[in-house]
Amino acid sequence: MIASFRAETLKNRKRWANWILIGILLAWILLLTYLTLFLVVTLSPKSIQGPVPASVIKRRLFPENFVPTVLQAAASIGAAITLIFGALSTASEFGWLTVQTILIQKPTRAGVLFGKFLALGLATVLVGVAMFVAAALASYTAVTLDGSSSAWPAWDVILKAFGALVLQLAVWTAFGAFLGIAFRSAAAAIGGGLTYVFVVEVLLGNLLRTTPIVKEVLKFLPGINGDAITAAFPVTIRDSSAQTQLVTAGRGVVTLLVYLVVFTAASLLIWQRRDVGGS
Amino acid sequence: MRFLDLEDEERTEAFPHSLSMDSSRRSFEPIPLAREEGWLLAQAFAVETHGLTKQYSTGVLAVNNLDLRVRVGEVYGFLGPNGAGKTTTLRLLSGLLHPTSGTAIVAGATPGSPASLAQMGAMVETPAFYPYLSGRDNLRVIARYASIPKSRIEPVLKLVDLTDRARYKFKTYSTGMKQRLGVAAALLKGPDLLILDEPTSGLDPQGTIEMRALIKELKTGGRTVLLSSHLLNEVELTCDRVGVIAKGKLVAEGTVDELRARSGGIALLVRATPLDQARRLLESVLKPEHVRVDGSALVLSVDPSQAASINRRLVADGVDVSELRVSEQSLEDVFLQLTENPQGPKA
Repeated sequence: MIASFRAETLKNRKRWANWILIGILLAWILLLTYLTLFLVVTLSPKSIQGPVPASVIKRRLFPENFVPTVLQAAASIGAAITLIFGALSTASEFGWLTVQTILIQKPTRAGVLFGKFLALGLATVLVGVAMFVAAALASYTAVTLDGSSSAWPAWDVILKAFGALVLQLAVWTAFGAFLGIAFRSAAAAIGGGLTYVFVVEVLLGNLLRTTPIVKEVLKFLPGINGDAITAAFPVTIRDSSAQTQLVTAGRGVVTLLVYLVVFTAASLLIWQRRDVGGS
Repeated sequence: MRFLDLEDEERTEAFPHSLSMDSSRRSFEPIPLAREEGWLLAQAFAVETHGLTKQYSTGVLAVNNLDLRVRVGEVYGFLGPNGAGKTTTLRLLSGLLHPTSGTAIVAGATPGSPASLAQMGAMVETPAFYPYLSGRDNLRVIARYASIPKSRIEPVLKLVDLTDRARYKFKTYSTGMKQRLGVAAALLKGPDLLILDEPTSGLDPQGTIEMRALIKELKTGGRTVLLSSHLLNEVELTCDRVGVIAKGKLVAEGTVDELRARSGGIALLVRATPLDQARRLLESVLKPEHVRVDGSALVLSVDPSQAASINRRLVADGVDVSELRVSEQSLEDVFLQLTENPQGPKA
């Protein structure tokens, strides 16, 4: 497994597509989440502003709120990017037929897959660090430009938030990797995965949230459980459209851990039994 | 991997079979076996299958009850027409496919097990590498998977004449370069058993000659080479023994000479005018299946000692005989006979 992990980290490091994905993720956080809101709130005329004063809205960008801000980014763009990352990592092996090259080296099939998932896990942690650092720097810049003051969250809150961030990203990465193995096609895995995220989790999760039967189903979905974890972190200005969470943060953590295990186990099951090559 | 710890002088001493070729393009250095003792000394066969069968979910029976034995230290050619089951067999032996039934032992262990994989290098079908990595980085990835020191990479790159292009990305490689990188990857482990699927595919004539020489030399020190090919000439020049597969079944096995002998081996070639009259006459004298038209000549599967009497008979019947000589059947003839009539007994 360690041999496979070392090989996988080399591949991940040298693959430009991975760096482009990280670039898109960080650009989204810096440009869309922070810069756009900062410019809109700072430059827009008072006549188009709502009942909440700009000075209050702006606090959403300050260090006191950087934890919930980065966690919300993780739930949307973070989920999409890491799902693509996981899908590319596994599906490409089938597309290029490199799966047969790696399976005729020394490790067992299970060793190869666990090495791959371990490398994906390491990459996910590093992506989480990059997101945290980017959001923290943007928060610091925002408060400095505004000339205001804002306190950073306590260290224990930051550490818990980092754990929550990595857990959510890891689930989406594992989901993408599972789809890549199941479909053996990057296009199918990414297309299917993103459709699920944006249609089922986002669209249905918001529109049918109050429908009794759907509500019970939604409680088991990874995105909904991730949202519950995010909502548990303090925010000084809450979005007026924020919805009531369907599950508790504790249940959310357990559910996501179960998903992580299920996606890994299901991937292993297919990976072990699948014939490579032939018709 | 003890070899890797030796100094150059000690290497020559430990592995005296230095390979050299006439070509100025490259000189071969010995690719040592991964280990000198182990399964190799205890086994008679590097590959042994019993009733190996693979039926795909589509219903296609690709390999049918295959009994194959590749002796330790030989170069074994696996011949067969397209779709005969050659690549499927190699995938089964590499652990890439799970057999429907039957058993196989490869390098002393179950196919696909770490014990088997550690002793074998393989290039199955198309050489498959990461397009965004250079040739050298692709070998680095493989070396990491196989827990091989990266110091093994440069020698194999040199061996396949890719050192100068090793820094370029795989996606920029020509077919021949991809093929050579595939062979380099298979050699990286210094395997006891080498499985090569169409190793000269895409190589230029010079590269083909060098690859054949390399394959022959690779068996030095007891290494076994199993190669599949559709190039009969290649198999004839390279292999100690040949197995012919048709419709998933092994239809013949032996040395090239044994296979020739089995399917008639020596024949008589007759060039006569008019050809049709000669053919009808000979079919009536001999059995029709012993007479075959080959272009403007007849090929007779008979004992050459009958040449004089056949000549007399043809002349007596008014046929002009311009040529009558002994003709050795080519491997191609043998191959066609075997694969068109796969029911025949094994040699």
